[in-house]
Formats: sequence, structure tokens, C-alpha cells
Amino acid sequence: MEILNSNLKLIVKDLYKNFDGKDVLNHISFDVKPGEFLSVLGPSGCGKTTLLRILIGLEKQNSGEIILEGKEISNLSPEKRGMGIVFQNYALFPNMTVLGNVEYALKLHQETAGDAREIAKRTLDLIGMSDQLDKKPKQLSGGQQQRVAIARTLALNPNIILLDEPISALDVSMREVMKRELKDIQKKFQATMIFITHEQEEAFYLSDRIMIMSEGNIEQLDTPRNIYDHPANDYVRDFVVAHLDQKYESLLKCTGRIDHEK
Amino acid sequence: MKSKRFSTLKILVGLFLCVSVLFPLILLITHIQPEDFAKVASSAQFWPMIGNSLLATTISMLISVTLALGLAWCVNRSRIRYKSVFSVLFTLPMLIPSISHGMGLVLLFGDNGILTNLLGINIHLYGLVGIVIGSVLYSFPVAFLMLTDIFRYEDYTVYEAAQVLGLSKWQQFVTITLPNLKAPLISIIFATFTLIFTDYGVPLIVGGKMMTIPVYMYREVIGLLDFSKGAILGLLLLIPAVIAFVIDLRSEDNGNVSTVTKPYQIGPNKRRDGLAYLLCIGTVVLVSLPLIAFAYLSFVRQYPIDMSLSLHNIKKAFTLGVDMYLVNSLAIALATSVLGTAVSYFTAFLTARSHRTFSNMTLHLISMVSLAVPGIVLGLSYVLFFKGTFIYGTIMILILVNIIHFFASPYLLAYNSLCKFNENLEDVSTTLGISRIRMLLDVYLPCTQATIVEMFSYFFVNCMVTISAVSFLANFKNMPLALLIPQFDSQSLIEATAFISILILLVNGLLKISVFFIKRQLQKQEA
Repeated sequence: MEILNSNLKLIVKDLYKNFDGKDVLNHISFDVKPGEFLSVLGPSGCGKTTLLRILIGLEKQNSGEIILEGKEISNLSPEKRGMGIVFQNYALFPNMTVLGNVEYALKLHQETAGDAREIAKRTLDLIGMSDQLDKKPKQLSGGQQQRVAIARTLALNPNIILLDEPISALDVSMREVMKRELKDIQKKFQATMIFITHEQEEAFYLSDRIMIMSEGNIEQLDTPRNIYDHPANDYVRDFVVAHLDQKYESLLKCTGRIDHEK
Repeated sequence: MKSKRFSTLKILVGLFLCVSVLFPLILLITHIQPEDFAKVASSAQFWPMIGNSLLATTISMLISVTLALGLAWCVNRSRIRYKSVFSVLFTLPMLIPSISHGMGLVLLFGDNGILTNLLGINIHLYGLVGIVIGSVLYSFPVAFLMLTDIFRYEDYTVYEAAQVLGLSKWQQFVTITLPNLKAPLISIIFATFTLIFTDYGVPLIVGGKMMTIPVYMYREVIGLLDFSKGAILGLLLLIPAVIAFVIDLRSEDNGNVSTVTKPYQIGPNKRRDGLAYLLCIGTVVLVSLPLIAFAYLSFVRQYPIDMSLSLHNIKKAFTLGVDMYLVNSLAIALATSVLGTAVSYFTAFLTARSHRTFSNMTLHLISMVSLAVPGIVLGLSYVLFFKGTFIYGTIMILILVNIIHFFASPYLLAYNSLCKFNENLEDVSTTLGISRIRMLLDVYLPCTQATIVEMFSYFFVNCMVTISAVSFLANFKNMPLALLIPQFDSQSLIEATAFISILILLVNGLLKISVFFIKRQLQKQEA
């Protein structure tokens, strides 16, 4: 089915998921613009990870449509959807080098098999890992492993990259670095990203828009500034705005968005 | 399409396990004639036999576990030297058949035994004494290996806390060590009990007039071809094994996995170390005495009449077909190891690297059933189930029964290794368009080579020493070497049985040494 509205990257319509009699996603609809960084923010159990798994096809929805670049993909298998995913715990192939990890899937795809090494090297270079090509995952720090995982996904040139709490597993000092790097990577690759998190600060720092979820519903979907200034309801006020600390509040007030550089 | 092909493979594995494990066992149970129950229970031998089995097994188990506990403590909680050498020597008895232990005792302590003659003391081996010593000899290494594992992964920080609180060493042992040991110890006690309770090798040789259940079952089936009675006795043997199995399943559910933040620190203590040396060296002497006797007797012309050394007995053994049966054994062991490792690994891959669906959990459970089925029972169920099929009477059925008999441990080795991988690997590979078979070949197999070597070695060594599962199924042509021991024993060819035991020890020893070097090579590659 062709959809005319071409200025949207992803359209999700009336998505519904029920697990063992419990509504995990309650008929939710939203869209994502090209190059946008959208955070899905909510406490554990709010349905955000299920949403991510349904978007990429690892889980099947009960009803609803997913339209990517004008094409309905709701029933395609994960590898045919043209999306990539990065998990919290990196999930690198332990026996392969950094280069091997990024190159492996490229080699198996006909279109990229010939240039696999070149594409892998270029991606790793852009992500700042070109001096670690021959290292094994266990020789890398958490942050470096996460960068390889992102490179592995980016190399396949996906339409959208889904990130499942990719920062939470890192130690506190690495988190700040990784946040900035994620922003840089997004700009460099002009990638559309959907970022799952339960950390208010991460979402407000990184996002163009934030989707706040609770119990399978979208409570509010807006820019960080608007959410902060005009929380849609008590839940958003209590869960999100009340938890941002003073530093971020002042940053947000003067920039409309939280950003260290400004 | 890919997932369909995968489901087909899963169904095939499930079918294989049903045909080779569940169906034969179900048939065994249905084979029992209700009236035979009363007949067996009312026979004069029945209740004394049960008493004998319980008595001999309980005493042997208690000694075996206590000895293993002492040795595991020595190796892990003292400062003695050559710990790895001791550990290897303690496990030597696992490399020869249980029946060889019986033979070893006869050679040493029998009425005409080497030590009986040398020291002039007769310990009256035949009966309870013989069964207990023999059973302890072959069962304590298993308990030792399990206990060492537990000692090794104890967290020292708890002991440090106890020291700060001023608890004495003894109080620490009672309040920390024992409670830590309790759950695994119960499971080790039952495993050891089952191992001894179901063995017929030792009591067949040194039991004398003391009849135990497995020996009785062996005689009823082999001698009188009474399958119904055999099945009833088989059910009796299943009872402790099933209890052990259920206890293990439950303790696995509890998942009492503690993370070691600090390995145990051993302070200097000369008295403790002296005691440890004494126990370890004493055990090594005990373990090696029968082996030395085997080696010695293989070269003695005719014990005890003509003690001159010669190759006479070895030559004689070869004329009796030892070489042919050795080839049989090697062929069976090799085929079982290759096929068994492949099937158990693939099954573990299916259950460990997929979602916990009902079908996967069922497959996991069936894979572990063989832990609860004594070899002699499995063998009998195979006679009933496969009789008349094309594989009956061939080497293939021996390979099949060995694969199933020893399936659970290698399966669990692979399962535990594969569970340690990142839980998201399948999701990542799916989204990257990498098939599950590719993941198996390119990621899991290369990462688990050491486990695969260990699985192969487990199948091989056990195939070389087993006599239980194969005893009802083997014939003159396809018989493995270990089964020659009871045959030669009944013909009073004592020297030849000694030679066979040494031969099996040599083969298994060579394999273990190769495994050691292969694993070291793999470790080097990884580093």
C-alpha cells in the first residue's frame, strides 16, 4: 500500500498488543520525521520495549499498521523491514574482531558482499573506531563495544535505527560521553533514530521530540520544551518534569532543549 | 521459510528422543505382568535382596561422599603442593569399568590375592566388604569432581565478614560452609547412591552370596530371559534415580548461583597440610593398588603358581580375540562420541538459544531423562523395543544405547555453555538477516570448542568403560571389550581380565592426555 504523505519516515497507526490477557500497547498512533531523534520515555513495564520489538518485527502486533517510507511493513520479517536495532548489552559476536563484527552481515548480503570490508572500515572510521579494528569485544570498554554495535547497524544503511536503552549499561562517566557521541553520530549519518529510555535526562538531552508512555498509552508526544512548559497531565508532571534536576531546568529554559554545548 | 526449516529440525530431534528414550521406557513399563509383581515380591530372595542392596549402597555412599568431601577440602582448602596431579590421580578409577574394580579387589584381597598372601591377612572380601570397597573406589571420583566445583566457587568475602565478627574456624565451617554445601550435597548424595545402587559390575564379582537387585536382574534377564521380572526389578532401580532427578531439577530451578567476588584465601597451617597430604597420598595408594596389580598380573605367567614374568597371558588374550573386541570398543566409542556430541550439542542449541516455549522446555526435560535411567534398565527397554528391527544385534544399537545412556551430561555441558552467550544475539542476528544456522556455524561452534572437546571425551571414556546398558544388547560379534571381563572371569582367566582393564585404562588415558593438550592449545589461541 502506497501512502502519499512522503514527508514522514514512519507512521504507526492504531497499534495494539495483548500479552496473556494484558493490554501492553493500547491502540497507539504516532509518526516520525526523517532525520528525527525520537525518544520513547517511560518506566519499566510501560510497553516501550514491546513497541520497539514490534516495530522491528521481533514481536507480532495483534492489530495496527506500521508504514515505513510509504510502504506497509507490518507483516514483513525483521530483516526485510530495513530497520536496525542496538541493544543495551551490545550483543557483539564474541569470537569476531571489531571489523569482523561490522563486516559479517554485510558479507552475507548479496548487494554488499563485494564491498563489505570497505563499507565496514568506512563506518568504523566515521564512528571513531578505526584504530581498534583487530580487537575482540572483550578487549574493549563498554562505550567502545556500544560504538561497534552502532556501527554494525549503521553499516547496513537502515532507514531507522532503534536504540533499546543503549546508554544504561555504561558507567556514569561513560554515559555523558556516549550521549554526546550519539548526537554526533546521528548528525554525521543523518540517521532517523528511535531511542528507548527510562531516564528523563537522557531523553531531554538527546531528543527532537519525546513520547512519554505509561501502561501502553501515549501520555504526551511533543518537543522537550513543550513537555516541560506544558505537561499534558499529572502523570507527565510527576514522572518527567519533577525528576529533572535544577541544572537541566535552567538549560532547558534558555535553550528550549537541553544541550551541553549551548 | 527459514524458521519452518528450523522447526522441522526441532521436530526431528524431538522424534529421535521419543523413539530412543520415551517409547522404549513406556514399553518396558507396559511389559510388566501384574501377577509377576506378587510372584517377585513373595519370592524368598526378594526382601533380603532389597535389604542387601540398601545396606551395601548406604554404607558405600556414606564412605564415598565423606572421602570425596575430605579430598575436595584438601585440594581446595589446604596449601599442599601438586594439587592438580592429585586431582587427576583421584579420577583415574573413572577410566576403567566398575567390574574392573571388583576384579582388582579379587587380585589384591581375594583368598589367593597378592596382599592376602603377602601380608597373611584375609579380609574375607566376598560379600558386604567387597561390595563396599569396590563401590567406594569407582564412585568417590564422581562425588569428588562435583564437590570440588562447589568449593572452588565459594565466595571468601563471607568468611572475611565472619572473621571480623570473631567466629572460630569451626563456627565458620558450621555456619557458612555447611549451609552452602547443603543443597548440592543432597543432590550429590542421591547421585552417588543411584550410581552404586544400580551397578552390577562390583557385586557380580565380589558379592559372593550377597545378592543385590542389579545382579539379580542381570541373572534373570541374561540367564533366564525373564523380561517381565527384569522389568519389575528395573522399576525398583529407577526409584532412587527418579528421586535424584527430581531433586536436581528443583535445585536447578532455585538457581542458587552466587557470584564469586573473592576466591578463598588459604592461610599457612602445617598441621592441616600434613593431614591433607596423608589423606591424599593414602587415597592415591588405594586407587593405584588395583591398577598396579592389573599391570603386574598381565605379565605374570600364572598367578600364584608361576610368578615368572612373560608375555604369555597377553598373547593368549589376543588369541581369544581381545584385539577384535578392542576394535569393536573403539568403533563404538568413536561413533558414539561423534554422533552423540553432534546430537546433544544441536539439541542444546535448540533449547538454550530459543524462547522458553513449551516445546523447548519439553525437549530440555526429555534430554535430561537419561540422568534418571540406569544403564541396565535402558538396555532392557531397548531389548523389548528394538527386538526384530534391523538395528537389533548390530553395532548400531550399541551406539544408539550409549548415545542415550550418556546423553544428559554432555547435553547439559553444551546447554550451560550456550546459555552464557548474550541473550540478544538471536534478535540482533535476525534483524541483520543472519540465519540461525549461520550463527551456529560462525559464532557458537567456534566459541565453544573446549566444551565440544569435553563432550566428546565424556562420551568416549564412558563408552569404553560401560557394561550396563550394552550387556543385554551385545552378542559375540559386536561385543565391546569391557564385556569380556565378566566372560573371562567366569572362565577363571584372571590374568586376561587384568590385561583388559589395563588396555581400557591405556586407551582412556591417552584420550584424556590428548584432550588436555587440545584444551591447552585452545586456551592459548584465545589469549
